[in-house]
Amino acid sequence: MDELLLSKIRLGIIAELLSNEWVAFSALQHALQTTNGNLGAHLAKLVDAGYVQEEKTFVDRRPQSRYHLTDTGRGAFVAHVKTLEQLLGNAEGPK
Amino acid sequence: MNASEAREHLEMIERIISASSHKLETGAEYFVVWGLAGAAFDVVDTLAYGGRIPLGWLWVNFLILALAIGFTVVRSRTAGYAEKGRMSILQREYLNVLWLAIAVAFVTSLIGFNLFALHGSMAVWNVVEAIVLFYIGMHGNRRAQICGLVMIVTIALANFMPSNTGFILAAGPLLGWGGFGIAELLAKA
Repeated sequence: MDELLLSKIRLGIIAELLSNEWVAFSALQHALQTTNGNLGAHLAKLVDAGYVQEEKTFVDRRPQSRYHLTDTGRGAFVAHVKTLEQLLGNAEGPK
Repeated sequence: MNASEAREHLEMIERIISASSHKLETGAEYFVVWGLAGAAFDVVDTLAYGGRIPLGWLWVNFLILALAIGFTVVRSRTAGYAEKGRMSILQREYLNVLWLAIAVAFVTSLIGFNLFALHGSMAVWNVVEAIVLFYIGMHGNRRAQICGLVMIVTIALANFMPSNTGFILAAGPLLGWGGFGIAELLAKA
């Protein structure tokens, strides 16, 4: 089990990035309903692990941080979901 | 982690993925503007090279081009993806197809100017525009499928009507490309 993805917020971030080319910090915050500081801390952990890539840009002269899911992050997410499904399958037992 | 937490996490993932947009945003206004511009280019070229208006009138095409590019730049700045805070992978693929198709048509017309003189060039643009519409159509947009067909029909009709080839080909961008834009705007409204 991937320790980094045990947090609901971090798992939510990866799920948000899964079908998007990039998502801005503000859009992630809106989608995950969390505070600036909390989201920033979780994103930093994902960036440090190489799961997520950060890009700084400007929109109407205002800074905007955008996040992409890396191949490492995508692979980790897929493996984590498989583990979760196995865990659930084992708990429910054979049908 | 226990089974109930695992279920909770899986449900959250499913919720997020199903909430993410799987719909293409085609940019209806661009289709209207470039459909009108494309039809205007074809009509001006047909009239000028057919001797119905002086060749000097071809400068009108540059004015139309400048207006269409101006609209595109201003509109992109005010309604870009940056404002929405995200761009889906589907949307990125659509933009890649759109720009690739436009680039191929532009380069082909430019380097093959002897092969694709006047009507040939118009037909190349109609084919490329039809491909973009069919690509949108592949993602479940029936309006795009119909408008793509309209563009192909204009080529077939133009082929059998040599006296009005240019005007019929001009109907392609007007009805196919521009018509799709109007249909999208009406559907949104």
